[in-house]
Formats: sequence, structure tokens, C-alpha cells
Amino acid sequence: MFFKMAWRNLWRNPRRTTVILIAVVIGLWSLLFLNAFMRGAIEQMVENNISILTGHLKVQKTGYHSDPVIENSITQPDEVKGVLAKVLPKEARYTSRVRLQVVASNARHNAGVTLVGIDPEAEAEMSFIGDAPLQGRYLSADTPHKILAGRALVEKMETQLEYKLVLMGQDTQNEIASRAFRIRGIFDAELESTEKQYVFVLKQAAQDMLRMGPAVSEFSVLLPEGALLPGVAQALKEALPEGYRVYTWRELLPLMDAYLKMFDGFIYLWTVAVFIAMGFGLVNTILMTVYERMHEFGLLKALGMKSGWIIREVLAEAFLILVLGMAAGNGLGVITVEAMSGGLDLSAFAAGAEFAGMSRIIYPRIVLQDMLVANGVVFFLGLGVSLYPALKAARFTPVEAMLQT
Amino acid sequence: MSMDAKMAWRNVWRNPRRTSLTIAAITFATGLLIFSFSFQFGSYDAMINAAIQVHTGHLQIQAKGYLEDKDMRQVVEHPEAVARILKNTSDVKDYACRANAFSLIASEDRTYGGLVIGIDPIREPRVSRIKTLIRKGAYLDKAHGAQAVVGQLLARNLKVGLGDELTLLGQGRDGSIAATVVTVKGLYATGQDEFDRSTIQIPLSFFQDTYAMRGAVHEVVILGRHLDQVNQIRHRLTPKLAQIENPKPLVALTWSEIMPGLIQAIKLDLTSGFIMYSLLVIVVAFSILNTFLMAVLERTREFGVMMAIGIRPNRLTKLLLYESTVLTLMGLGVGWILGVGVTYFFQQHGIDLAGSSEILAQYGISGRLYPRLSWASMTVGPALVLIITILAALYPALRVRRLSIVDSLAYA
Amino acid sequence: MAIVELTGVTKTYQQGKVSVQALRGVDLRVEKGSFLALAGPSGSGKTTLLNLIGGLDRPSQGDIRVDEHDFARMNQSELAELRLFKIGFVFQSYNLIPVLSALENVEFVMLLQRIGAAERRQRAEAVLAEVGLSGLLERRPLELSGGQQQRVAVARAIVSGPAIVLADEPTANLDSKTGQGLLEMMKTLNAQKGVTFIFSTHDNMVMDYARRLVLIRDGRVAEDQVKGS
Repeated sequence: MFFKMAWRNLWRNPRRTTVILIAVVIGLWSLLFLNAFMRGAIEQMVENNISILTGHLKVQKTGYHSDPVIENSITQPDEVKGVLAKVLPKEARYTSRVRLQVVASNARHNAGVTLVGIDPEAEAEMSFIGDAPLQGRYLSADTPHKILAGRALVEKMETQLEYKLVLMGQDTQNEIASRAFRIRGIFDAELESTEKQYVFVLKQAAQDMLRMGPAVSEFSVLLPEGALLPGVAQALKEALPEGYRVYTWRELLPLMDAYLKMFDGFIYLWTVAVFIAMGFGLVNTILMTVYERMHEFGLLKALGMKSGWIIREVLAEAFLILVLGMAAGNGLGVITVEAMSGGLDLSAFAAGAEFAGMSRIIYPRIVLQDMLVANGVVFFLGLGVSLYPALKAARFTPVEAMLQT
Repeated sequence: MSMDAKMAWRNVWRNPRRTSLTIAAITFATGLLIFSFSFQFGSYDAMINAAIQVHTGHLQIQAKGYLEDKDMRQVVEHPEAVARILKNTSDVKDYACRANAFSLIASEDRTYGGLVIGIDPIREPRVSRIKTLIRKGAYLDKAHGAQAVVGQLLARNLKVGLGDELTLLGQGRDGSIAATVVTVKGLYATGQDEFDRSTIQIPLSFFQDTYAMRGAVHEVVILGRHLDQVNQIRHRLTPKLAQIENPKPLVALTWSEIMPGLIQAIKLDLTSGFIMYSLLVIVVAFSILNTFLMAVLERTREFGVMMAIGIRPNRLTKLLLYESTVLTLMGLGVGWILGVGVTYFFQQHGIDLAGSSEILAQYGISGRLYPRLSWASMTVGPALVLIITILAALYPALRVRRLSIVDSLAYA
Repeated sequence: MAIVELTGVTKTYQQGKVSVQALRGVDLRVEKGSFLALAGPSGSGKTTLLNLIGGLDRPSQGDIRVDEHDFARMNQSELAELRLFKIGFVFQSYNLIPVLSALENVEFVMLLQRIGAAERRQRAEAVLAEVGLSGLLERRPLELSGGQQQRVAVARAIVSGPAIVLADEPTANLDSKTGQGLLEMMKTLNAQKGVTFIFSTHDNMVMDYARRLVLIRDGRVAEDQVKGS
């Protein structure tokens, strides 16, 4: 009954109701849409970082994280492998790597790079190198003297496919080990810094060069969708013997974690700002309808309607406006995001995106949590501020209301 | 006051509650935009200053091509000739020479690759902030000497502290092996992890000896009197530089050319900010459109009478636009005062953004952020609000022209 | 001399799917200096007729001429101009602009006529004195009684010397004594200044005051009687 009355009252002045609805719709649409873009940008950033040899989890020797040298390698990788195979969910993937800061040089240039010794097949499933566009060929088991280098590094060092790069790094005996590799493939990456930083060789080749035996620097784990990271991390910690440490990506990428937290805070602030912008209009519009109907409320009161009922009646109108606006705003938001699923090309700002660590193409992404925040804030604050006109209406006395013309 | 203005003013206050709410909405938007733009500009300033004071200076003179290749051999052969020019160029506040070489940096039991930067211990503090960012030990104090200040993260990776020795191994300008040993004199932390993890600084003349530079440098870093004069200084320098003999011609590059990412990141941020604010103002516009609309609908009969006695539709439109302009201007005025006031307060006291300090540090901002009022930040937001609200007001003001006199007179 | 001439005027309104014939052919001549009442039951078409004479609406058929101007040949803007200078209006209620004082309401018409401030003020004060409101110049409409409001409306209608003043049920919202006072005043203006008044009314008192009474019934002139005076 309330809603039927509220509904009919709303459409007594369709233009006015439409205008305030548009305000709510645009507000929610813009919230959803902008949140989706920022969320997309930030999550892509996180995913890029995870795919740049981080993974969801890493197992390292205690001490390696703060002092990433060969000494702190995992000398018995089979031990870790056994635990991983036992503890991880079935669909999880993992691989081991050798990692070391080395100097790459050729006749003309030197550069500091990270040498990554990989298992080519497992690695391709795990990190960006599997999907990266490649000029030349990928590594395979029979290429112990070949190397993959990033395009930016190759250009910086003025070299090309099949040319040699000499890598120098500190081996297990604390001596400088060096070895020449031929460039087998040149990869492109999302960020130029990635292209400059990493070179890939076979794990076996790295182990030989650095005299490591079967040791590796780390195991990296990629969990299937839906797996709960903290739980898995905890289980691994408990299952691994002394001397190992498990890191989640949040610990490995504190900056990304900070970005995500900042963004969550920002969404609240911005949602409240947009709400305030539409809140004034909402209160004003409901006030107008209430004052126009002073007579009616007086009549209802004279008929014996209690204040509480009148408040409910007015709130029901606010409720309908909000719900209608939210439905349309969300719908439009989802449609817009869907329509832009091809991504927003930031190439015009390529250097800026690189600087901020963002991808060049942003794919908007609607996340349930963002949607709930936007709708929740608008809905509850909306009802909250509508109490003001509702209380006004409840306070009209029958006589005063009937006197008004 | 003209009759029209008087009528507009009185009409605006016929419904004080509605008018106040409407003004409040405009006030809110105006104030918020002034603050936000000032905040953004303030943080851009901080980022630019951090980059300028740690890395680039306002301008640099380099051999053409050095920026792209960072090739040891692309040098400024006669820095003293450049210095002579700079001394005679107006608005150049100070300058300092630098040389860079990628080298292996080894401690007793660790080796990393990194960038060795040769700096002039006397002149460098005048163009860069590194000296103030020394967290342990002291800055370089001798023009010549086997000493170094090291990025804090690099020092941690190398497991060295003050007084420890580092071996530098690289390639000289002539292709020869360059090797030397330096003592760690101090540790610096700029907050920018990448820089702190990969650089060490040694005295320039010591660098020149070690890397066989034969008196040459790679960069002459210039600080002007003011950031805005960068392009003028470049204009003044370019013809003079052409007269200096150098293996490759010398060029003057501005900070934004040396770090194109920063300025583009700022543009990207500003563009997305502008879109967000525009959407917010559009929401505000629809929020207050009802007030404008009601002002017309409620007074239909009044307009009927006015038209009957011979007022032209143009005049009615003008009257209504006056009314909405009065409303908007009041909101803008109050919002402007509040926005500027609040922003000014924070400009003096700063805003503590402890929660995001890790992020800010990467852009070289430490501690507090100071919003900065400027012409742009004080006008762009209000202008946006003004334009969009007037557009909203046009709808009812034009709609009134479609009223039929007979129907309006019959309107209860 | 005829100041108003209607020939074969009809007016049909479209109300949704129903078309309502408000006027079914009216011929009417009104001489200068008349004091004429259009009377008839509600719905008879008298208000429609008044609106047509005032140029607020256009007839479906027929010709209307006011002060030698043929309405059919005039556009909206010219009609507005004609109303501004030649026709005064007094409505049943809510005649005045609520945000303007009595004086300003009268001045407003002259403002539209682009008359200078000094002359405006002087003429407004004079005409308000004529209608007996000298002491109330600065009052806003809400601070005036119904009768006083109607007097301001009359002052506004006659201030620029119009050819005719059209009054739509001017006494309907007034008590009989106030109404009588208003009619007295208009009659004096008619007698002394020769202002032509046309009323629409179903108030017997107005009909008594009128010197010519035109009865409208079902959209036609049913009776046209000139009373001796």
C-alpha cells in the first residue's frame, strides 16, 4: 500500500521525478564506470607485477629476500617440490628458478640485469614470458648457450639476434663467474623496465655457470582462481621444514598492496562526494513534493494517520527514487563497461603510463566490492537525508496544513 | 539595481529553504573542485621538484644522443667552456657537472651492477638535494679522493657500512678497464627505491681519472631561478652552445625531455581528474535542475499574466537566466571563499598522508603534501561549475517560451 | 467608432479526443468608451471571447479587429506589442507579480514600454492615487487586501492609456462591498477618461453597472441590450 501510494505520487510530476532520477543515474553510472576503470588499471598493474616473476606465492630460503645471493639458495629443491605437490590445490602451478643480479656486457656496453634461469615449459605457464611477443625463438631443453633478452635492453646495448651477451655474476665460491650467451629471442613486455631488467637462460645453464649444482633461488606458485591465498600460505608454512620462508605477493609487492589500499579508501571518499552532489537534489526534490502536498498530509492526519506512517510514506518515495536510479545507473554502468571491454588505449600517454607502472591499455573491470560500496553509500545515505523532508511532513498539523493555499 | 535584477534577487528568495539547499550544492562542488585541483597541482609540484632536485635539474647540457644511449663516449668535452657560457646567461642560478658510468660494484662478499655517478662535491649541493638526504655518515667533502656516498638499499645489498671499502670495476671512456677502490663515506635515501638500489656517487675529478675521461663530463646540470623559465633559458643557451666545439653537438634538454614519463603521468592524472570532476558537476547540475524547473512551473500563472500584459518571451527567458545566475553566483562565491580558505589552511599546514607514504616516496614525496593555490586551481573548477549550471538553467529558461498564455492563465 | 470588431468568430478546442466548440459564430462591435459586460453561465464561452479580443488566443475562424488592427495579419510578437500599448488586463485573481511592490507592478508595464524612470514613477504614483492607493505604494501584493490588489491591477491596466481594458470576472473573489467600490472606481474612470471597459462576468452587480450587456449562451450571442443611462 505504501509503495503503491509512493509510486503514484512519484509520477504526479513526471518531469521532476525524471530529473532527480537522472541525477541519481548519472551519479551511479559515473561511480561504477570510473571505479571499473581505476580498478582495472590497478588490478592490471598488480597482475603485471605478479606475472613479472612474482606469482601469488614464493618459497625462498630464509634470508634470501633481504640478501638475494647465491649463498642463500635452496640447495635441496626436491624437498620443497615434495611439499608443494602435497599441499597445493590440484590446479595450482609452480616452478623453480635461479635468479641473480649480474652484469651483461658486449663490446660496447654494460648493463645491470637480472639473470633468470628457468624451466622453459613450466615458466611459460607461470609468467609473462610465456605470452610475450617474441622475435626469434623461445628457449628449449637443448639450448644451454642461448639467452632471451628484452627489446629495450637489446636496443640499449646495440645488439641483435644471434649476437653474444656476456653475463658476469658472483658464484657460490664468491668469485666472478662469466659466460657468453647468444641471443635466441627478443621479447616485448608491457613495461619497458621489464624489458631492460630481465634476461632468461635455461635453469641448468645458470646452475652450471654459477656452480650451484641442483640448487635454485626460489619456487614461485600460481594459484587457481578462487583459492584463498592466506590459507594456502599458512598450510605451506606449516608443511615446510625449518629454514624456508613463504611470501605472498602482498609481502613481495608492498607498493602494490599500498596502491590497492589507497584505492579502496579513495573509492569511499569519491562515492561520498558524488553522493553529496546528488543528495542536495534529492532532499530538495522530496521537500518540494512534501510542501506541495501539505493539504494532503493535513487531510491524512485529520483522518487519523500517525506521524510514523507519514514518515514511512515519504521515505518510501525516496526509496523508490533511489532504487530506480540505482537499477538504471548500475545497468548503464555495466553496459558501458561491457561496451568498452576492448580497453581504453592510453598510448597517447604511453610514457606517463610507464612512469606510473600502468599498462598501456586499460580494461575496465567491475568488482562486486566496488559495486556494493557505491550502491550501499548512495542507498543508505540517501534514505538518511530523506528523513529531513519526511520529518517535516510528519510535523504538519492538520489545521495549519489545511490553511495553506 | 535594475528592475530585472531586483526581480531576480527577490524571486530567488521566495523559497529560502530550497534556495539554500541549491546554493549549498553549488558551494560544495565549487569548494571541492578548488581544493582538489590545488591538491593535485601541489602534488605535481612536489613530484616535479623531487625529480628536479634529485635527478635532472631544470635543464641539462649533454652531447646529442647521450640521453638515449647513455654511451660513455658521448661526452661534453670542454665543461669549462660551457661553464663560461652559463655564467653569462641570465636566470641561470647555478650549475654542476656530472659523469656516469655503469660498473660492477663489489664489497668483500657481494657484487652488484650499478651506476657510478661522478659529482662535484662543492657545486652539486647547489643543484641537487642528495646532500640533505644523507641518512648516515656525511657527504663527500673532498673534490678529489677515493670516497663514495652510496644508496641505502645498495649498501644493504652489498652488506657494507660506513668506512667499508668498495671495488668499482668498469670500462673507461677509451675502452680500457677502469678499476678503483673507494671508502664508503655516507649513505643516502631518496625514497625512490630504484635509485637507492642502484647508484653510488664519487667525486667528479676522481671519476675522471678512474674512467679516463680526460677532463670531460656527461651532463652539465642547470638550476634556473624559476621552473617557469626553463624554456627561455634553453632559448638563450641553444645558439651559444652551437659555438662550442664538441665531438657531437651539444644540446640543452629540459627536465621534461629528460623525464618524459613524469610530465605525461601528470597529464594522464589531470585528464582523468578532469573527467571525474566534470561528471561530479553534471550530477550537481541535475541535482539543482529541479530547483530551476520548479521556479518556472510554480509560477506558470504569473508568467501568463506577464505575457498577457505584453512581456516578450525573450525577456522572460532573460529574467529566468538572471535568477539562476544569481543563485549560481552566490554558490560560486561562497564555495570559492570556503574552497580557497580551506586550501590555504592546508597549504600552510600540509596534509598528512601517512597511509600512502610508501607510494608517495616512489615519487620522491616525503611526509606531508601541500596543496597549492594557483590561478588555474582557483578558476578552472569554478568555471566548470558555472558553465554546466548555466547549461542546466537554459532548459527551464527556454521552456518558458513554449507556455501558452491561455493555459498559463488557467493554471492553478 | 468601433474599437473592437468581431465577425463570424468561432473557436474549437481539442481536449484529448473530444473537440469542444467554445464559440459557434460571434459577431460583435464595441464602440469606443463602452462599459460592456459579457455575461453568461460558466462554460458559455465568455472567457474564451475575452481571450480572443485580448489577442491571447487565436480564433478558429472569423476576423477580429481591435483599434483598426487585424489580428489575423499579426504575429505573436506584434500581438504582444499591441497588448502592451493598447490593451489592459484585469484578471480574477493573482493579477500581480508577487515580488514587486504596488508601485513597481504599475511601473513594470511602462518599463516594458521603455519609458524613462522618472516619468514612470510619476505616472505610476498618479494613477495609484486615482485608484485610491496613495498610501500603499511600497506594499507587496501579499500585504494588500484582495480589493486593493484588484485596484493595483486596474491602475496597471490603465496607466498607459490603452484603447480597451479587459476584465475577467474582476469581482469574483471579492466581497460585495469591495466589489462595488471597485466597479464604482472603474465607472468613474470610464466616465472621466473615456476608458473602454469590457468585462466577463456572471455577477449580477457587474451586470447592473454595465451600460451594455451581451449575453453569451452556448457559444453564441443570445442577447445584446443597451441600457439607457
